Amino acid sequence: MESNLNNKLKKTYKIITSDKQLTAGIIGLLIVLTVIIFAPSLSTHDPNFYGTNVLSGLGENGHLLGTNKMGQDIYSMIIFGTRTSVQVAVISALISGVLGILIGGIAGFFGGKIDQFVSELINVFMMLPTFFLILLIIALFGNSITNVMIVIGITTWPSNAKLMRAQALSIRERTFVKAATAMGESKREILFKYIIPNGIFPVIANTTIGMSNAILTEASLSFLGLGDPNIISWGQMIYEGKSYITSAWWISAFAGVAIILTVIVFYLLGDGLNHVLNPKHANGREA
Amino acid sequence: MSRYISKRLFSGIITILIVFAINFIIINAAPGDPIKTIMGKESDDPVLRAALEEKYGFDKPLTVQFGIYLKNSLKGDLGTSIIYDRPVSEMIGERLGPTILLVLSAGILSLIIGTIMGIIAARREGSLLDTILSGISYVLNSVPSFWLGLMLIILFSSRLKLLPTYGMTNQRASYTGIKYILDVLKHMILPVGTLLLVQIPTYFRIAKSSVLQVANEDFITTFRATVMSERKIFNKYIFRNAILPTITMFGISMAYLITGVSLIETVFAWPGTGRLVLTAINQRDYPTLMGMYLIMSISVAVVMIIVDIIYAILDPRIRY
Repeated sequence: MESNLNNKLKKTYKIITSDKQLTAGIIGLLIVLTVIIFAPSLSTHDPNFYGTNVLSGLGENGHLLGTNKMGQDIYSMIIFGTRTSVQVAVISALISGVLGILIGGIAGFFGGKIDQFVSELINVFMMLPTFFLILLIIALFGNSITNVMIVIGITTWPSNAKLMRAQALSIRERTFVKAATAMGESKREILFKYIIPNGIFPVIANTTIGMSNAILTEASLSFLGLGDPNIISWGQMIYEGKSYITSAWWISAFAGVAIILTVIVFYLLGDGLNHVLNPKHANGREA
Repeated sequence: MSRYISKRLFSGIITILIVFAINFIIINAAPGDPIKTIMGKESDDPVLRAALEEKYGFDKPLTVQFGIYLKNSLKGDLGTSIIYDRPVSEMIGERLGPTILLVLSAGILSLIIGTIMGIIAARREGSLLDTILSGISYVLNSVPSFWLGLMLIILFSSRLKLLPTYGMTNQRASYTGIKYILDVLKHMILPVGTLLLVQIPTYFRIAKSSVLQVANEDFITTFRATVMSERKIFNKYIFRNAILPTITMFGISMAYLITGVSLIETVFAWPGTGRLVLTAINQRDYPTLMGMYLIMSISVAVVMIIVDIIYAILDPRIRY
């Protein structure tokens, strides 16, 4: 039993180290998670504390990366901003992934009229300018972080659905699905027991890349003044720093670097997972 | 061919109808009553309210309301901005020029530069140059465009004092003729440069992977076996086949640019539609925002249909 587990671990380790991007992505993810968990001990100040050292420069008055116009410590804000970005990324990606898997899975598995309708719907939604739709909904429904996460989730499912549909189309022709049908298992059972678990891998990779996009979308919304004013977010730091860009560049600059690094981690993870999980890309031909 | 075009046109029309429906659903589902949303939160003029109720038929069933909304919009009436007391279509129309200038310049330049970079990387796959170009593309893909714009302002304007960062023309001088054009071009460098940099990865990736894919196909191996010159194989067969996917990418990239340009216009105070969006957000001017969404969706749909048709002309295989 123990050696079995050991073998599995060894196998997983081998798969992870077989792809450079996946290795880098996982190391990056571990660092991001460390920052999220130990944020209170890693930060030097309370990020919500309005100090008297307004617009301090780098290293001035004990502020590693300076302060903003309210005297908040930039370094500590960036540390705590990680939580916001990753929260947005994970929850919106989950919503988008679940919706995509269900809609795409049902379309591909049942086929016929349902499939025609869903495929046309996916095509239409992929033609719509998603970012502006998100912006419009947030402007009308209020700019809370919960709304941002939900709206990103429910507007980005089509690419997941497209992948899942293609998977379901091919898996439903496989022998084990036909055998299950012959054994009298219901359609719903087949969909959830065979089609989805076997076809989910490309969607997982795509969802990981979707996390990167969610982080960028949240930052863009904040930059247009549609961020949640009650939380600390990197996009909002860039937005606040915009007016001081020539005098206090550090307010915007480091928050942007934090965004880039986090987004790269999720891109690496997504690409790596794609190489490992998706047989089509097994040759690593992608750029 | 005409069947393919009519099929694409049909789905384009469906898309635009869905955009109308989304706008309609959003305004009715938003918290508060729809007239209040259109009027703006601050104003509460009973005469205006009655006029709006009359115009949009708010006492009628929802289906009839949707019909009225469609009819108005097709006549070019996208509603009135209560904040500015002006028709939305007029306000958007007069700001469209500068936005299109940015979008087209950045779109075409990134297509050319990104594709060339991708081809170079593919032809020397595995070399140091390929690694560097791929690395640059990977990082650029993760950069928030508006942040990049701000950093370019710091670099080129605050430190090097080389380029203007604000607006489309020099407000203090009133140039005419060639001087005016040069002035606009100078103001365009930073905003177009920012959009260009964030769009390069899109073309880089597609160009690189499609060159690699075509180069590994059997017919190319056959040509190599016949000792045809590498240059001829590339120019005549690989390039022509590999360039096709970038054309589809152009449509998708334009869709991104049309919405993403708002952020860049905000950074550089470019007098286009982006600033209209920003003030509309700050003032909660919903008719303007909804009008913008409609115009953007229609532009994206039109661009995508044109791109699809061009693709079908160039690649007969696509006309199923």
